[in-house]
Amino acid sequence: MTKKFIYPITVLLYFTIFLNACGTDSNDDSSTGWELTWSDDFEGEKGDLPDPSSWTFDIGTGDNGWGNRELQYYTNRPENVSLDGEGNLVITAIEESFSGSSYTSARIKTEGLFNQAYGRFEARIKTPFGRGVWPAFWMLGSDFREVGWPQTGEIDIMEFRGQEPSRIHGSLHGPGYSAGNAVTSSYSLANGRFDTEFHLFAVEWFEDRIDYYVDDVRYQTIERTDVGGEWVFDKPFFLILNIAVGGTFVGPPSDQTPFPQQMTIDYVNVYSRTE
Amino acid sequence: MKNYNLFSHTPIYLAIFLLLFVWGCERSVSGLEEAPNSDNPDVFLDTFSDGLNYAAFDGSVLEAFQVVEDETYDNSEASMRFEVPDLGDPRGSFAGGAFFTSIPRDLTGYNALTFYAKASESTQIGVLGLGIDLGENKFQASVDSTMLTRSWQKYTVPIPDPSLLESEQGLLFYSSGPINEEGYTFWLDEVKFENLGTIAFDSALILDGEERNFDAQNGQTFTIDGLASRHRLPDGTVGEVNASPYYFNFSSSDESVAQVSEDGVVTVTGEGTAVVTATLRGDSAEGSLTVNSGGEANTPNAAPPAPQQDPADVISLYTNEYDNVTVDTWNTGWEFSTATESFIQVENQDVILYQNLNFVGIEFASETIDASEMTHFRMDIWTPDPTELPNEFKVLLVDFGANDEFNGGDDSEHELTFTSPTLQTGEWISLDIPLSDFTGLQNRANLAQLVLSGDLPNIYLTNVYFYKGDDNGNGGGEPNAEPANSAPAPTEDEANVLSLFSDEYSDLPVDTWRTEWSAATLEEIDLFGNPTKKYTELDFVGIETTGDNLVDASEMEFIHIDLWTPNMDVVRIKLVDFGPDGGFEGGDDSESELVFEDLPKEQWNSLKIPFSDFEGLENRENLAQFILSGLPAGSSTLYIDNVYFSKEGDGGAPATEPVNAAPEPDADEADVISIFSDAYSNVDGTNLNPDWGQATVVTEETIEGNNTLKLAGLNYQGIELGENLDVTDMSTLHIDFWTVNSTELSVFLISPGPVEAPYALTVPTSGWASVEIPLSEFDSVDLSDVFQFKFEGDGDIWIDNIYFEN
Repeated sequence: MTKKFIYPITVLLYFTIFLNACGTDSNDDSSTGWELTWSDDFEGEKGDLPDPSSWTFDIGTGDNGWGNRELQYYTNRPENVSLDGEGNLVITAIEESFSGSSYTSARIKTEGLFNQAYGRFEARIKTPFGRGVWPAFWMLGSDFREVGWPQTGEIDIMEFRGQEPSRIHGSLHGPGYSAGNAVTSSYSLANGRFDTEFHLFAVEWFEDRIDYYVDDVRYQTIERTDVGGEWVFDKPFFLILNIAVGGTFVGPPSDQTPFPQQMTIDYVNVYSRTE
Repeated sequence: MKNYNLFSHTPIYLAIFLLLFVWGCERSVSGLEEAPNSDNPDVFLDTFSDGLNYAAFDGSVLEAFQVVEDETYDNSEASMRFEVPDLGDPRGSFAGGAFFTSIPRDLTGYNALTFYAKASESTQIGVLGLGIDLGENKFQASVDSTMLTRSWQKYTVPIPDPSLLESEQGLLFYSSGPINEEGYTFWLDEVKFENLGTIAFDSALILDGEERNFDAQNGQTFTIDGLASRHRLPDGTVGEVNASPYYFNFSSSDESVAQVSEDGVVTVTGEGTAVVTATLRGDSAEGSLTVNSGGEANTPNAAPPAPQQDPADVISLYTNEYDNVTVDTWNTGWEFSTATESFIQVENQDVILYQNLNFVGIEFASETIDASEMTHFRMDIWTPDPTELPNEFKVLLVDFGANDEFNGGDDSEHELTFTSPTLQTGEWISLDIPLSDFTGLQNRANLAQLVLSGDLPNIYLTNVYFYKGDDNGNGGGEPNAEPANSAPAPTEDEANVLSLFSDEYSDLPVDTWRTEWSAATLEEIDLFGNPTKKYTELDFVGIETTGDNLVDASEMEFIHIDLWTPNMDVVRIKLVDFGPDGGFEGGDDSESELVFEDLPKEQWNSLKIPFSDFEGLENRENLAQFILSGLPAGSSTLYIDNVYFSKEGDGGAPATEPVNAAPEPDADEADVISIFSDAYSNVDGTNLNPDWGQATVVTEETIEGNNTLKLAGLNYQGIELGENLDVTDMSTLHIDFWTVNSTELSVFLISPGPVEAPYALTVPTSGWASVEIPLSEFDSVDLSDVFQFKFEGDGDIWIDNIYFEN
């Protein structure tokens, strides 16, 4: 090849490599490989319950405080879960005597209404704070009622302990690697808190790995071969949002914990891979 | 021709040119900006930061602070060491001082003062903060009781509002004293300002977040305290920082009633109600002060009568007449006492004015008083406050016993309580108290304290003294003494008076000032030009206005009489009303007698007695008899003048608030479900002021002893019943209401849903209005399940006796 051609070809090569190298940012819109399959922007009137075609409620105290000795009684009352009229959903944990419990709160889920396997699951959230307050954005397998837990698998996109307002946890539970043995990692803000501003919490779930994100930072990847048991993440999962009070993960509230405490969710988006 | 050589003149031109150049080059300074303050965040890292100085506080150990190199954080070069003294250290009682800089700092870019700290043992540092610059100390902020451990930990003092600290010189201050009498050492290092993303401003409070009331008059002041800002801390808790008032923006809802200064001092300026609140960082702070102002301070316009005892028989604490003994203080300032004292003059008489009086200690312990030879204790008081029952004024004397000191097992005390009719509003009252009345006082040789207390927040006090009367316990002077002057002239407007005997007014016809059946001698005398009635050898005397002369005093509120006696220990006044039949007996008469003990002798006593004090008097439309009697029976001497009835009102200006209580309900308790009434038991747990976002200010007031609900500035106001009511068996809803300025008023019943139905009430009212609303008017509401009331409309409304009736 003559010198005359080498130069433009080299330049072309550089451009091609450069463009390709740039094209792997997976956080943005469908033009980079994701298409929106489900979302809730929480638009609506102040005091409205969340859209019943998208969300249903867990009520009460479950089995032994939902398995974790949590202290709250979940309700479907607007004071515990409703839109704020400004495009957000607010879940509120209230210190009040209710049906034998000392706190009320809410847990909403898309079980039976929407579930999906693989994809990107994200929510923009501002957390509550205070010792003993435990909000979460997470997922359970859609076969939960048939096969039980932990066989059904659990993906915790964001869990938070109110006494550590600058740190969240992302985890994976499954058979052989559940509860205390779950695969988990945490992410801390260097100089910020999760209760004073919105942050974006997400997982990107592929066939043999799940990546965990806070804002644009990937802080954890769990691969199929990393788990100490059967990989159960090849089936659809549904989404859950809640605030628990007390329980084994966070301990009880102290008398310094201010109530009521609120979690504000701007939106929930779910995408699937276009290729 | 001479050659004009330019060049030879060059030096001159140059000089001129240079001069012009220099002058022309003086730069104008006006257009330059001031150099911005340094935003250096460092206070102490290894040395004092630029411009930093230290000054120890007065009374502290001057050498408590030192820079040391042996105990530093993270092996830094140096740290600050503070040594808190043991109790009793002669060098000082605590360690404390301020680090201030001569170079002001711009701290607006930081949100906290941070440092590492540890101590010689687990201990607490009394106060740590910033903002003391040894000048104005304007932006002082601090935290209390910081717990230190023996290992270095990081501490954060959030700044209430950093945007205000553009030019701050007070960077750090501390103060700490011995704990359990022992001192300790603590170190600080890496002291600096930071902008932490791990803390966040949460909220602020004034008055510790409480809603407080301040009943006052023009000129009184109240300093708002309990100021703090709250911040979310990195451990998930919320910490409180004490903040100076300058961080807050105070405002009053009505400046014509009360105004508040930048430093949080509220001054009462006019009559009415105002609510003082504050913001910090633009957010409303929790807590408020509701000022209820009575307006112009009611003050006495004359001095009380001067004491007339012989100085040899007197131990005086506070008179103009006699030499006063040493009184250590007229306000000991004990905890929980809210009283303030001021020393004023009324017509050249020295008077002490107490305001906000709940209780006040007056102490004369350094030289206790030996009153064992004395027979009486006298105090003259004057109050503008309501004095009708059940309001009380109490006087307590404390004797320190033989050891002449507090305690020691030999102290004794006794408290006396005074009520209406001895207590009068707006009149000088001489309390002439026989010392034998203080039965709990075992000794009187070491009297040390006088405590005044009760329900009268404003007391003018003078003529406080002990004296020795004669053996009869009389106040000196002879039993036949005559008044030295005529009774004081009444001041009420004629339009508000019905007079029986007074120089000032035209008198109604009176049958007689001495009925045949009386046991007394009556003499009509002239006292310095003023006709006066004199009774002698008095046991009892009847004064009658019967038949055509029956007196209809239903519009009146008070009976007034001036009395002067040299020897009566007990004076009784009985009123008799002949009832609607207008005649003696007939089953409808009623009467009531008041007894006055220990009225001061040998002086005019002007009694202004509310009719409500005459509890047995059921009517006063047919007043027929006034019977005066007393002790010693048969030998009493009594002068009377200015016998008349009066009512309040300044000659035509309408009342702006009810003077009388709402009429007493007459329904049977068994037929009633009551929400708000003194006459019945009310539904438990009812919330009279739920927060429905209303503008209305709700208070409960006592009017003539009756609890009354006041809705001020009504737009709407809810009442949340303590339980849901089934009123399907009831027939009516009864409400008493009073308003002069409302143009619209409706009452709603509400059942869950909510389902509400209004009923319009006629306003304004002429005095108290009572309605019995048929419940059929509310038929859209589920009457088996009523759970709320609502009032809607405008103006100021007083409400009482809300009940359902069968």
